[in-house]
This record gives sequence, C-alpha cells and structure tokens, in this order.
Amino acid sequence: MSVTRVLVANRGEIAVRVIRACQSLGIESVAAVSDADRESMAAKIANRAVCIGPARSTDSYLKVENIIAAAQGTSCDAIHPGYGFLSERAALAEACVDNKITFVGPSAENITMMGDKLEARKIACNAGVPLVPGSDHARNPREAALLANDIGFPLLLKASAGGGGRGIKLVSNASEIEDTFRTAAAEARAAFGNDTLYMERYVGNARHIEVQILGDQHGNVIHLGERDCSLQRRHQKIVEEAPAYAVAPEVRAQMCHAAATLARSIGYQSAGTIEFIYDNDSQDYYFLEMNTRIQVEHPITEMITGVDLVAQQLRIARGEPLPFKQADITFTGHAIECRITAESPQHSFRPCPGLISEWQGPVGPGIRLDTHCYSGYFVPPYYDSLLAKLIVHASSRTESADQTNRALDNFHVSGIDTLIPFLKVVIANDEYRAGKVNTRWLEKKLEDYAAAQSG
Amino acid sequence: MELSEDDVLHILKLIDESKFDYFQLEVGELKITVSKGDPIPLGNSPQPAAISAASAATPKPAPAAPPVAAAATPKIAAIPAGHLAVTAPILGTFYVAPEPGAPPFVTIGQQVTEDTTCGLIEVMKVFNSVRAGVKGTIVEVVAANGTFVEFGQTLIIVKP
Repeated sequence: MSVTRVLVANRGEIAVRVIRACQSLGIESVAAVSDADRESMAAKIANRAVCIGPARSTDSYLKVENIIAAAQGTSCDAIHPGYGFLSERAALAEACVDNKITFVGPSAENITMMGDKLEARKIACNAGVPLVPGSDHARNPREAALLANDIGFPLLLKASAGGGGRGIKLVSNASEIEDTFRTAAAEARAAFGNDTLYMERYVGNARHIEVQILGDQHGNVIHLGERDCSLQRRHQKIVEEAPAYAVAPEVRAQMCHAAATLARSIGYQSAGTIEFIYDNDSQDYYFLEMNTRIQVEHPITEMITGVDLVAQQLRIARGEPLPFKQADITFTGHAIECRITAESPQHSFRPCPGLISEWQGPVGPGIRLDTHCYSGYFVPPYYDSLLAKLIVHASSRTESADQTNRALDNFHVSGIDTLIPFLKVVIANDEYRAGKVNTRWLEKKLEDYAAAQSG
Repeated sequence: MELSEDDVLHILKLIDESKFDYFQLEVGELKITVSKGDPIPLGNSPQPAAISAASAATPKPAPAAPPVAAAATPKIAAIPAGHLAVTAPILGTFYVAPEPGAPPFVTIGQQVTEDTTCGLIEVMKVFNSVRAGVKGTIVEVVAANGTFVEFGQTLIIVKP
C-alpha cells in the first residue's frame, strides 16, 4: 500500500503531530477541517486543508463518508485518524479498504474485536493474560445479582460497548445491584446502542498501567515499555509518566511481555496500547482493555525510547518492517506529561473556550510541547478542551518533576483559563513526589483544590 | 438554566445571520461572547479552507504521488458587492444537472427562490440537492460540473 499523501482526519494537537510526522518522512498531508477549524494550525501547516463540514463534529469529523470523500477529492492515498473521533470505528477502516485507501492503523477486524470489551477479555484470556476477576455477559438483574456474589463487592458494572472510562458503574453492595443494573443497561443502550453488561471486581487501591506496542505487516510485534496513567479525573487521564516507576521491574517485564503476546495473538498491526489495572496492595496486574490507536500520552514513551511512534505508524502502513527488534529498544530516564486543558480550576473546572491573547510555552532542554495553540488562536467551544501536552524528559523521576514544575511556572497563557495552576499544585504535592498515588488520588486533590478556591 | 450544544449552535447561527458585529449573552453562570470582527473566526466564511503559502509556492516533495491536481486550490470566487452566494451544504462532487446530458438545474439569468434546486453534490454515491437558500437572479455558476467542492465553498452567485 502506498502512503504518499495523507488525509489527517482529526484536529487539535494530534493533527499537528501527524502532519509533522508526515513532513519528516517526505509525505504530503491534507488537513481535514471543520468550518470552525479553517484557521487552525493544522490547516496552516499541512500542504492543503479541506473543509469537511460544519463545526459540529457529528457533521464533520465523525462522518465517515465525508472523510472518504475528502480523501478522494484531494487524491490522498492514506488516512490517519489520530485519536478519538473515528480512530476506533471499524466503519472508517472498512470504508478505506473498500475505496483502496490505506488506513494508518490496525485492521477493521482488530478494531471491532477490541471495541467489544467482553470479546477483548476472551482474547486476553486465550493469550494467557490475567483478567480482573469478573463475569461474562450478565443478561438481567437477577443473573447479575447471582454472579455478583461470586465476584464480591464492591464491583464495577461495565458496558461491553463502552471503554475509555465510559459506561462504568460502581456497585458497593448487594442491595444496589439490581437497580444499578437497570440504570446501567438503559444508559448503555442510549450511549452505545448496545446494553450488554458484564462485571469486574473493583480494585480500590489501583494504578492504571499501560503498555505501548507496535506491530508491522510482517508479523513482528514489540513493546515499548509501560506508562503509569493513574492520575485521572472522571476516568480521564491528566498526568502520565513513563516508565511505571512504582511497579517492580520484574512485574513490569511480565506485563510488557503479556501485552506483546496478546497483540501478536491477533496479528495486530500499527501502534496500540494494552491497558492494565495494577493492584497496589497485592501487586497483581489485570488486563483492562486494548486501545487500537495512537494515544494522547504517546510522547512520554517516545521520549524515553527515542522512537517516533507516529512515523512508525506511517512506515508500517506502507508495508515497511519494523526497523528494530525487541532487544534494540532501550529506556532512558523518566518522562512526565501534563495535559493542559481549557478548563478553569478557579471555577470548579468548567470549560473555558475563547480567544487566547497570549500563548507563551516553556522551552529548554528536555521540554517538549505538543500543541496547536498560539497567541491569537480562538479555542472553539465545540470540541474537547485539550490545548497542549507538556512533556518533560530528565534522568530521574525527581528531576523530571522538578523540571515540570519550572516549565509550568514559565508557561504563560492569557485570555482563557487553563489547568496550569492546578497542575502546579499536583506536581509540587508531597504524596505525588513520593509516588503514593492511586487512580482515586487526583479526584481528592480536585475536591481539596475546589474547596480552597471557594473558601 | 442550562444551554445545550444545540441551543448554542442555534444562537451562533442567529447572530451570524444578524447585522451585529459584537454580541454578548449572559444566562446565569454562562456567558457567550461573539464577535464578527477579525480575531474570532466563527460562522460561515465562504472561502475554502486555508492553503498554505509554502505549499502553493514550492514544489512538493511528491515521492510517487499520483500526478493529479495535487494540492489543487478550489476556485475562490470573490463575491461582488451586492451579490449573494449559494454555498456547498456538504463536501463532495458537484453536478449542475440531474444526469449527464440533461439540461442544468439553473442557467444564468434565471430567477430562483430559496427552495430552487441549483445542483447536486454526491458523497459516496448519495446525491444531496443544493438549494439556493436565497432569492434572486443567477449571475454565475462558479463551480465546474463534476468537480470536488468543499463544505461552504461558493458554487453560484446570485443577484438579489
């Protein structure tokens, strides 16, 4: 498959990231933009931009036929979906095959099987990867109540069509299960058009650890180490770091090996991530789900491995074998990523779109800023609030955190509120510095912060 | 009171169609500020999306790129003062007639109303009719038959 001109079917910082990767490989790029993104950085730096529809993403970035028509109309031979939007919709990968366009990503089949979270559990189980103790499809509230007794409380009710933190409900005890089941089923039906539910034991003191993998079209699959993404709010990651400093090296090695084995078992191609729940108390790890796309936090892995993951996606898509073997991948230092969003920590983290009058990012050794923002950019209200990813690479976790703090101090944004003041508090926190965190830790900090602001 | 995304889009559309240059709405905690002036690029601009100056000027590193109109620029039609544009409601292939060889939907000098069908745009074998959306006389059909048009691109110029 040839990849000579790529339609970038996304927006924001990832569109810029993909265009830059295309440039580094001498590949032309066409930015697919909505009406609200005509003046975006992606539109400016791509060889050309094409307007695919109105601002609302359901009429533009989420419309498969518009994306395909835009690729054909601009003679692109490949489409890169970025993350979010259509990146994990098998329909786009299928439409690419039907129209002889190279999809820069895995096969539609792999997207479908991993998109069904129950199916994914079965695949992981067959590959010998440990699963969170849980159930298969629970068909009704009665059945759920019976199955729940074997799993124990608290537990999570999950929508099989969910994933990425969506479609999850916590059930604390047996008296709640039947009611929660009905609500969860109704919500899953509304959100995903599929009310299949299953259950997993709730790990209270958990870390979110994930493993980056790359697979080519020649059967080679390698891992690029892990990331710790435990600092989350409403299941959305805020701060990520690599390597997973708090997990013993031998356990990390097992997780990485399991991830590569799982990906190999389905003949996975392109970049992908296998997510695990790690129990801080028992030190056990369990398969959570697989993301069949490039992830937001991919740069921290790039920093410690020196591998350009997006460029590798493009090379894999054009049929090249991976240029390195597992033994060639080495890890240097520690990297931390902070997600800078247009949210106001001073006002209970409400979204804050608008005109950025001043945008001055930090610079210096080991500092990388992936962004689409600039002074004079108008942050449209239609999309998610991610403005930039500040990535800092240093020799140790302590140094990396120190550098991150200094970089946040030197990050000046005016016109809109951003998450920066809150991130400073997090990175300076003693518990964070000591690594004493779990997936619930940040929520508590948010509450404290909000209380301090209003009090 | 909570405003939904639909409400906001609707408000923006109303403002866009209005004569105001600057508009501020406050509903409880929520504040919407809209300016039609320069720095805030909202609303329907009839120009095709940006074409980078560098790509227009310098030859491409086109490796084995097909020799098609590479980063071809869709024709930008400057709309003469006092005229209105019929723009593409969707991106795709623009057709001036219902089928090859058939007379075009509209011809120069023809009177149209908001509901007059002026052309078709095909996206993946689905044909969408292009309604004039304005009332007046056809002055020029800017987009060529069978070409790829972007969302919002000017297709036809009408004198009200």
